[in-house]
Amino acid sequence: MGRLRRFFSRISIRLLAFNVLLVFLPASGVHYLDALERLLLEAQERVMVQQGRVLAAALSERGVLKAAYAEGILVRLRQQTEARMRVVDPDGRVLADSATLGPLKAPRPPGETGESGAPATETRANPAYRLGAVFVQAYQRFIEPSPPLPELDGEDAPSSPQILASPEIREALSGRYGARTRSSPGGVRSLTLVSALPIWDGDQVVGAVQVSQSTFRVLNAIYPIRLGIFRVFLASVGLAAVLSLVVSGTIARPLRRLRDEATALLDRRGRIKGRFGGSRRRDEIGELSRSLQELSRRLEDHVRFIESFAADLSHELRNPLASIRSATEVAAEVESREERERFKRIVEREVARIEHLLGGARELAQLDARLETEARHPVDLRELLTAIVEGYRLRRSNVANVANVANVASVASVALDMALGTEPLLIVASSDRLTQVFENLLDNAISFSPPDGRVAIQLTRAHKVANVAILDGGPGIPQGSEAAIFSRFYTYRPGTTKSAESHTGLGLSLVKAIVEGYGGTVEASNRLEGGAVFVVKVPLA
Amino acid sequence: MKPPQAGIVAVVDDEESIRETVAFALKREGYSVETYADGASAWSAFQKTLPGLVLLDVLMPQMDGLELCRKLRGASETLPILFLTSRDDELDRVLGLELGADDYLCKPFSMRELMARVKVLFRRVALLGRPPASEADVLRVGSLLLDFERYQVHWKDAPVALTVTEFLILRALVRHPGHVKSRKQLMDEGYPYDAYVSERTIDSHIKRLRSKFAQIDPDFEAIDTVHGVGYRYRET
Repeated sequence: MGRLRRFFSRISIRLLAFNVLLVFLPASGVHYLDALERLLLEAQERVMVQQGRVLAAALSERGVLKAAYAEGILVRLRQQTEARMRVVDPDGRVLADSATLGPLKAPRPPGETGESGAPATETRANPAYRLGAVFVQAYQRFIEPSPPLPELDGEDAPSSPQILASPEIREALSGRYGARTRSSPGGVRSLTLVSALPIWDGDQVVGAVQVSQSTFRVLNAIYPIRLGIFRVFLASVGLAAVLSLVVSGTIARPLRRLRDEATALLDRRGRIKGRFGGSRRRDEIGELSRSLQELSRRLEDHVRFIESFAADLSHELRNPLASIRSATEVAAEVESREERERFKRIVEREVARIEHLLGGARELAQLDARLETEARHPVDLRELLTAIVEGYRLRRSNVANVANVANVASVASVALDMALGTEPLLIVASSDRLTQVFENLLDNAISFSPPDGRVAIQLTRAHKVANVAILDGGPGIPQGSEAAIFSRFYTYRPGTTKSAESHTGLGLSLVKAIVEGYGGTVEASNRLEGGAVFVVKVPLA
Repeated sequence: MKPPQAGIVAVVDDEESIRETVAFALKREGYSVETYADGASAWSAFQKTLPGLVLLDVLMPQMDGLELCRKLRGASETLPILFLTSRDDELDRVLGLELGADDYLCKPFSMRELMARVKVLFRRVALLGRPPASEADVLRVGSLLLDFERYQVHWKDAPVALTVTEFLILRALVRHPGHVKSRKQLMDEGYPYDAYVSERTIDSHIKRLRSKFAQIDPDFEAIDTVHGVGYRYRET
């Protein structure tokens, strides 16, 4: 059952069903042919009765029936009608029979006397017709059984050429209208309609007229129509199937391909191993496949980022861990209190470094989400940079009084030069993030500067982009590392100790991530006159 | 360039704390210690005088450990080089025949383990080339010859350059041919002083062992993997 349901829920099958349903509508026209057939048969019977009446009236004038006279009328009538007419006397003896009156003047179309004819046989022998008949018979048999045919009289053929004693004749001879339907001889599905009328002479029945005609002509006219409809039906079904295949080829197949690609995207352990191929189709499926391709590409990038981030972090943590482990191991075997203090300080320093690393890593990892959700406002870079530099100057005057650490001493003595122009430059961003960017760059520049060095901050505008350049007089960037310094955990500080806890190697990569999050760029290079320059470019609001 | 000075250990690592603690521990063991914060400064010092043993960090600014190792091998075939690494990506190159380091320890390493390795490496150099003092120090199994004294291995009379760790693991396997050793057992033998080594590192040691033997004898298949249990040296 489930399989069946799945089968029918396939798009291609549903399309086929839909198309085929549509072509069944014209096919149902066949049904109305039955009504037409009935009408035609009724009309035929009426005509027969009329003919019989006319004949009976003509004969009744003569009083006693004369075979010769009756024959004379029939010979003349015969040329005008397709029906077989017989005249019998009150005893049922045949006085005249239009069928036995010798050859016709004009060749008659076949089948007139109720016998089968060639065209009908041809139509009915057509394979398409037979095929149709199978369906129709099945339909009639199981779904809409037609009322049984009027009872067929056993003696459908006259009992003898001379004497007719069929029921309708007996009825006519007793003064009533008699009608029967008989199946035609010859094995064709057509019937013979027989009607019999009394011939009156005054109030006495002096004979009867029997008119019989095969329904063959009517049926013969309807068969080709049926066949035609059925042919149209067959052609439509074929066309519907082809159309469904074509449509399913352009809808279902690409969808199946997408499905296959989706299943193959992850391996059993949930790792990304495949990707969506994308498609050049211009329809909705093409669009879907392209968005999925983009999605899988970004997912892959993200997973790679997370994996390499985890690897980098674990590598970065191993160094302080190694220091801690060695220091504790050594400290345990040291007797001198002084030496033990020394290793204790190493442990403390490295623990602080681990905390720093984890904090920075968390910040970097959450940055994407923050950039996504944080409110962005127009920020005047000029104002922001002025405030940041003011903050530095304020801090410097504070720490100058308590300066005892080397690092702080250099901060205290480095001069900050501002060249921020006069016009406000607005960019849309979070001022917290921007502050983070420029503080990181300034920290970096100051920490690399020699004592009494100068750090310059320049703000300029180039078309629709704000340029912030931060220049220092430090040792510059090692040749070829201009891009590498922005990678995670990159630390290179000649002359300083690596474990200086404030340098996690994450600052510049954080700067890069934020600036790029705002659609900008950050680049580093060496100045000709010595030192490094960092240039941040952010699009203006 | 002066030949390697026995008793002098050079520590090349950009981590100040590691330099400090390792140097302290080595001095306590009686060695002389030189420390360098990057490969370039170490190499410029080594060009004047080679130390007796070098402890190297892999990732360093200004000439990394791999580069320095290659240069040192060019200067001396026998100088013992031990890597201290926080990244195992590059290990196959370092320990393979390409660079031929003598051993490595993963950070965070055990200081006792490091001291034991340094001792073994010095002894290996000291006994190099001298015939074994007694047959008792030597174990023969089929085509394999293990020299416990010198930490040296021969296969069909050809020397196989194994790291100290690889030697310790192979020794554990060969002592009882046909017996299956679990990863845990091999680990305890390979790192006698360090309980924190991951069992999976055994697999990469075995992989390197096999490839080193296969370099000498492509038909070497004496080390069997017993799935779900561990490894076994085949009885011949």
